[in-house]
Amino acid sequence: MIRLPRTCYEAIIEHARREAPFECCGLLAGKRDRVERVYPITNRADQAADLFAERGLMPRAGADPATLPAERYFMDPEELFRALREIEAQALDHLANYHSHPATPARPSRTDIEFAAYWPHVYHLICSLADPDQPDLRAFRIVDGQVTEIPIVVEDE
Amino acid sequence: MAVTILIPAPLRRFTNEQASVQVEAGTVAEALAALDAEYPGIRDRICEPDGRLRRFVSVFVNGRDVRSLEGLETPLRDGDEVGIIPAMAGGQ
Repeated sequence: MIRLPRTCYEAIIEHARREAPFECCGLLAGKRDRVERVYPITNRADQAADLFAERGLMPRAGADPATLPAERYFMDPEELFRALREIEAQALDHLANYHSHPATPARPSRTDIEFAAYWPHVYHLICSLADPDQPDLRAFRIVDGQVTEIPIVVEDE
Repeated sequence: MAVTILIPAPLRRFTNEQASVQVEAGTVAEALAALDAEYPGIRDRICEPDGRLRRFVSVFVNGRDVRSLEGLETPLRDGDEVGIIPAMAGGQ
């Protein structure tokens, strides 16, 4: 179970809507199983074509890198580094990564599962905007390629 | 130069769960070599067999990505902090 204050839940959905049709991404920090802070991170997938191509994870051969953020995310490394340092400085734990699927369901894709291999100890939240009026936020544990859905409890403060 | 290497959570199993390691090094490459001498195997997670930085790893000196500096040859000064982070990436 991951506990998400309503303000954090709404911040993730707002972020997903703001970036659509591109994917948004960011980190969630808190203590134990309760999120306290949302750290939006810039999606630099347009600069990471080589990273996806190297693993055969480009959406289409020859896809224009400028359109990649609509189907891929790559967190800006310097922002990510700063956010992780701030989380440690605040004595919080890095609990989860989140990103959006602007047009597909909230299920980890092959690309999500492959890159989650480097972060098996955090949850992976996906916000689907496939139905724009009904955002669907789900959490997963992804370990050794095995995906387990984790319930999200949205808490009113 | 005495520098501090900040170890990201996914690599702490190599460093007995230590979040930072002090080494003596004049460049980022030397710092990674010194880290690997102390904790064998960790550099393979950061560099390709030919020594290049792996594409899904970013290395920072005082918060700046070494890809925008001089790469693994970026010089280090006393007290510098070297950060390491695997990519966070994915997509629908």
